[in-house]
Amino acid sequence: MSILTGPMNHHLDGHKDLTKHKDVLKTIDPDQVWIPLVNGNAPCKACVSVGDEVKVGTKIAERNDHFYLPLFSPVSGTVTGIEKFMTSGLGQAEHLCIQNDHKHEKVRAFAPFDAEKASWEELLDFVKNAGMLGLGGAGFPTYVKYLKPENVDLFIVNAVECEPYLTADYKNIEENLDLLKTGTLALFKLSKAAKGCVAIKEDKKEQIEDLKKTFAGTPIEIRTVPDLYPMGWERTLVYQLTKKRYDKLPIEAGCILNNASTAIALGNAIDNGMPITHKYVTVSGDALNNPQNVYVPVGTRASTIIDAVGGYKDGTDNVLLIAGGPMMGKTIPNDKFVIMPQNNGLTVLINQPKEEVKCLRCGRCTETCPSGLQPVRIAMSSAIFDEAEIMKLSVMDCIECGMCTWICPSKIDVTENVRRAKNFIRARQTIRAKEAKK
Amino acid sequence: MKFTFKPSPNYRNTQSTVGIMFDLSMCLWAVVLFSAVYYGIAYGPALGFRVIMMTLVSHVAAIGTEAVYFKLRGYDVKKELKHSFSWVTALILTLITRLDVSYYALFVGTVMAIIIGKLVFGGFGQNIFNPAAFGEALIMNSFAGSKTAAVTADVFSGATPMAAMNSNNWILSSSALGNLIKGYGGWGGLLLGSYPSVIGGSCAILILLCGAYLLWKKDIDWHLSVTYLITVFCISLIVGLIKGAGINYAIFNIISGGVLFGTVFMMTDPVTTPITIPGRMVFAVGCAALTLILRWKSNLPDGVLFSILLMNMLTPAIDKLVDGNQIKNQVLIRRKVVYTSIVIILAAFCVGMTLDKVAADTTPADTSADVTEEAAGLAVEDFTANEAACRIWNNVDDAAHVYHCSAKGFEGTNKATITVDATKGTITSIEVTEFNDTPGVGDTATTADELGRYAGATINSTIDATTGASLTSGSLRAMAAKALSMASGK
Repeated sequence: MSILTGPMNHHLDGHKDLTKHKDVLKTIDPDQVWIPLVNGNAPCKACVSVGDEVKVGTKIAERNDHFYLPLFSPVSGTVTGIEKFMTSGLGQAEHLCIQNDHKHEKVRAFAPFDAEKASWEELLDFVKNAGMLGLGGAGFPTYVKYLKPENVDLFIVNAVECEPYLTADYKNIEENLDLLKTGTLALFKLSKAAKGCVAIKEDKKEQIEDLKKTFAGTPIEIRTVPDLYPMGWERTLVYQLTKKRYDKLPIEAGCILNNASTAIALGNAIDNGMPITHKYVTVSGDALNNPQNVYVPVGTRASTIIDAVGGYKDGTDNVLLIAGGPMMGKTIPNDKFVIMPQNNGLTVLINQPKEEVKCLRCGRCTETCPSGLQPVRIAMSSAIFDEAEIMKLSVMDCIECGMCTWICPSKIDVTENVRRAKNFIRARQTIRAKEAKK
Repeated sequence: MKFTFKPSPNYRNTQSTVGIMFDLSMCLWAVVLFSAVYYGIAYGPALGFRVIMMTLVSHVAAIGTEAVYFKLRGYDVKKELKHSFSWVTALILTLITRLDVSYYALFVGTVMAIIIGKLVFGGFGQNIFNPAAFGEALIMNSFAGSKTAAVTADVFSGATPMAAMNSNNWILSSSALGNLIKGYGGWGGLLLGSYPSVIGGSCAILILLCGAYLLWKKDIDWHLSVTYLITVFCISLIVGLIKGAGINYAIFNIISGGVLFGTVFMMTDPVTTPITIPGRMVFAVGCAALTLILRWKSNLPDGVLFSILLMNMLTPAIDKLVDGNQIKNQVLIRRKVVYTSIVIILAAFCVGMTLDKVAADTTPADTSADVTEEAAGLAVEDFTANEAACRIWNNVDDAAHVYHCSAKGFEGTNKATITVDATKGTITSIEVTEFNDTPGVGDTATTADELGRYAGATINSTIDATTGASLTSGSLRAMAAKALSMASGK
């Protein structure tokens, strides 16, 4: 940040008090779960067939292209088939349907493991086979980040949770401080970093105290960051903590980051031998009777969760059902989709369309863009299909954090304009690649 | 339950364009009301009422024009009017006109500002020029004669601070400027705006308060305004110090004229200024340099308005200049901003260097010792038939005023360039540039020897006619007399 750039972030009203101090609902046990056979854009291959009996912790599918990722059953019961429907990422994917027998029979997916004594290679193998993936939202297999940890200065556990409405990480940390400690220390060891820290927003005062107590006597520091959006984004967080910028991956700036719930999941795998089967999910928003956090099996339908927390407020008939928080989460046009491992929230907002005014070129979108883009100019160039200009404005650096739409005083869907420009560039590149092949 | 699909994000800031325009309108109305009260108290209720009436006339013109336009285009008139914010143009335009502009001129100016300044470009958000500045430029240039004489006589009997500075070539020593300011109620008077100027351009304190309010509400961006004020201050301070003026010269440059009003209400118009912060800073530096250059060198009442219009024209170019990723290209963009600013500021300095040096403060001459010279020679000759006319070509250096003159001779009109030493009141040289009398007869009066006789001549010198070319030499004498009388200021 200098005098020539804007603040590149902004404080958002988080609405976190709706759910922050309420108990987590843990009684949801759906009759059926659907496990999406997809990770990122890559399909996963089922390794059980219809009719097979599975238990909690049975490996049911794996991704096996250039990355490896196993998926595990969150319930015990019978595999009943494969269905294709919309995921929380708005794409279509195959889902493995499992009938829950409500017996909660468990198998240990893997033997207990002593992370402190294990060698670095053993630890990496463990993280890989335990199916750890980035639970902050990306769902990226965790072990990949640690393949070549060279010159790492700082290992960061990201407990910022800057997305409005969401408190799932907060509740997860609150209830699992010991697992967080185990997982964090294991990842710290894996990162071979000189220093380690847990980054958390400065307004979560009670949790900061808890964390300080938990990590007393360990090399892990607790670092507080301001209550700004998108403070939880890798680049913003790395810049906040180290004042360094990087081109592609945080390791270029000597940093490795993982989400706090990923660390907790790893802690659970190490201490209890269990893979990722359940998720803390914040169910919040102004269209719900009783916003609160829930702890549900992966693969639970959104409709089941919303019914379990008390359903929609009377008189609401038109809502935005968002998988995630309102900034980066996508609205899903039905409530049939299921919770994937990387989902942290369901936000249900009453649909109140805002009247759009013409753009007055105020440039607020440019000042708050954490990637330093100029959304107005991108939209203008995109309207006349000026590919060279769009590339010059480095449109591909956009992460769709939603800041530009949020700040826009004219209520224009700025992010969507940028997204369109990105799609246009991708389409052009595809066409060119095809022509080159011919 | 209906699950609506909308592209993310689905979260909005509470600030809206309508809210920004509302705040802006409130501030502008505050300035209007202040002016109404000031003119009402200082010059009588009728003139206070005139301020309000002018504002209303401008509103009617602006909103009416847009209503007709939207109706003709088949739009939803009410909705479009609400989101077109033409009343802001009307308010600003009223505030930057003078009180003696006729209602008719203001009405036509506003209509043109809306049509040519805004609608032809595609309406709100698309216009290149600040519509209010465009309207005022039109009123100034095309309706200079359309003034309400009674108001002019009442309010503008004396010179405005801008006009007073203009007649002093925009540079004055510390004490001379102090005297000038005293004429307008001192610094307090300048800050409170208790002197005639454009309707809204005078009360510095009120405008600064409005600016602070808009900044606090995050309605405007500080980068542009602050850069502008700092640049105006620094350039005028340094040029002033070199030329012998004091610090008060730099302060005067900021709080007088349209500088504050322009920077709070006009340069912050986002539509016509660059999008990015680096772009706005280049814009501000450009505006500052042009403001001073126009003040120093043009015959305009003030430089602010045209500096804004000129820079508006460059906005797309500036946007292009600082294009790219604001983080990855930060160094490159910073370099561009710095280099461009240096070039612009240097240009302003160069112009500033041509200003007259401040003369040592002269004590008023002892008039009793003055002996009135008997008028003689050129001063008493009758040149009516020659219809001599002179145009000032250069009067910066008092030791060498240059005039381009013309006068009728025998057959046609002869022209000459005459250099006069205004401090002594003598002719330095005369050079014939166009000769239209009889060749071979009249030109005996234009030989170097003959012309040499004019060197050192005063208005009281007697210059004999050249034999055989009395009419041609009469035209030369007529021009010389005219130039000398202009140099002496009569």
